[in-house]
Amino acid sequence: MEFEVQENQANNSIQGIINLQPQVNQVNQVQVQQQEIQIKQTDIQVSSTLEESVAVTLLRDLRQIGIKLRCVLVPTMSTDNARELRNWDLWGPLVFCLMLALTLSLSGNNDDGPGIFATIFVLIWVGSFVVTLNAQLLGGKVSFFQSVCVLGYCVFPINLGALFTLFFQFFYLKMFLVIGCFLWSTYSAVGFMKLLIPEQKRILALYPVILFYLFLSWFALIV
Amino acid sequence: MQNFGSNNDLDEKGHVMTDQPKIKVKFEPKPKPSTCPICTVEYYQQFFDIEQRDVYMRIRCSLLSWKPEFYQCVGKNPDLWGPLWISTTIIFILFAGGNLSRFLLEEDKRHFKYEYNYMYVAVLIVYAMAFIIPIILGVIMKYILKSELGVFEIVCMYGYSLSVYMFVLVLCIIPYNEAQWFFLMCGLANSTIFLLVNLWDFMKKNKQTTLIAVPIISFNLALILCFKFYFFRLIYAVDD
Repeated sequence: MEFEVQENQANNSIQGIINLQPQVNQVNQVQVQQQEIQIKQTDIQVSSTLEESVAVTLLRDLRQIGIKLRCVLVPTMSTDNARELRNWDLWGPLVFCLMLALTLSLSGNNDDGPGIFATIFVLIWVGSFVVTLNAQLLGGKVSFFQSVCVLGYCVFPINLGALFTLFFQFFYLKMFLVIGCFLWSTYSAVGFMKLLIPEQKRILALYPVILFYLFLSWFALIV
Repeated sequence: MQNFGSNNDLDEKGHVMTDQPKIKVKFEPKPKPSTCPICTVEYYQQFFDIEQRDVYMRIRCSLLSWKPEFYQCVGKNPDLWGPLWISTTIIFILFAGGNLSRFLLEEDKRHFKYEYNYMYVAVLIVYAMAFIIPIILGVIMKYILKSELGVFEIVCMYGYSLSVYMFVLVLCIIPYNEAQWFFLMCGLANSTIFLLVNLWDFMKKNKQTTLIAVPIISFNLALILCFKFYFFRLIYAVDD
């Protein structure tokens, strides 16, 4: 990649032309792109990320998590969503897993906080691992970490449900909230996974996903 | 004079023409022979080569346990999907249903203590029954008693024999002692008959009836006693 830039002191930016490397895009066409860009001084991305401040790094990662969360949880199957989800990361799942485990272990109804924390943590990671492995063994064309990433992001509604149940004590309200969150999580995860499994094996791959979120929702309800 | 083939004619460019067929050499990287094939993920792919319809037929075979049709259903294609997810469903039902049953019976519902140990005990018991016991039985049958049934066929059969408990344990949530015993006995009968009927040919041929039937019956009996006395025990309030 090469670029020629010149400084534009009038509006404090640099302008130039970037010759990007020939790229093979999704339909196997080679494209050479030349893009004219204007880079403002504040968001120069060509500098190394080691030199930026911690706040900037964290904000960028949080923004990425937010974008992916929106893709996963507003289940419209557009191609943008699919492309966004290919850039998997495990920060999001880790954050939501820890949040869920902490919320449930700190809630007042149980006397075994550390045990609950450990159970939820292990359940989420081992469960995602087993469900993904199941989908792969059934012949699904699903990348391992991408699937773990999506399953982890879909835990977010159950997180919300667990947080709400901390504040409400009325059982039937809790039950409706948790059922709603379970259906939301399952719908998102199923929407993503069913595209990758052949038709005759779909239920075999989706039933474990449903069971996984059922386990987690049950914990959110009873704890 | 060099002889490149049966026809030594030269073509217009002066190359020797031979009428031997051109041999294409294709280079394919050979898969690395693993020291432990059973440890790789690819080995297990053969056990997930089934469809929804097959799973439905196998569960149906196991519920209609008196008909020895299981090996016709399975054919040469034992699967591990059934044993794994049927046992995981049973674990969830034990964990949720066992506590629900106690909750329904509890008088002081505000101070109900949820027992999380149910999950750990359920995982231990059910996975042992679904995997460890049939592996041991399969190894004994295959290598000591020289059966033609492989270890994975026995694991598949045991896994599907547990499918009746998915329904029975949901019914056991009803907190009445007699009802729970009745349902568990039905489950025990169905599961044991299924195993014995499908192993009958082998037992008759090898005259090893007692050696195989006794462990099967005793492990199934132990399983439902565990269910009744740990998960669905009814604790009645004692009137002083």
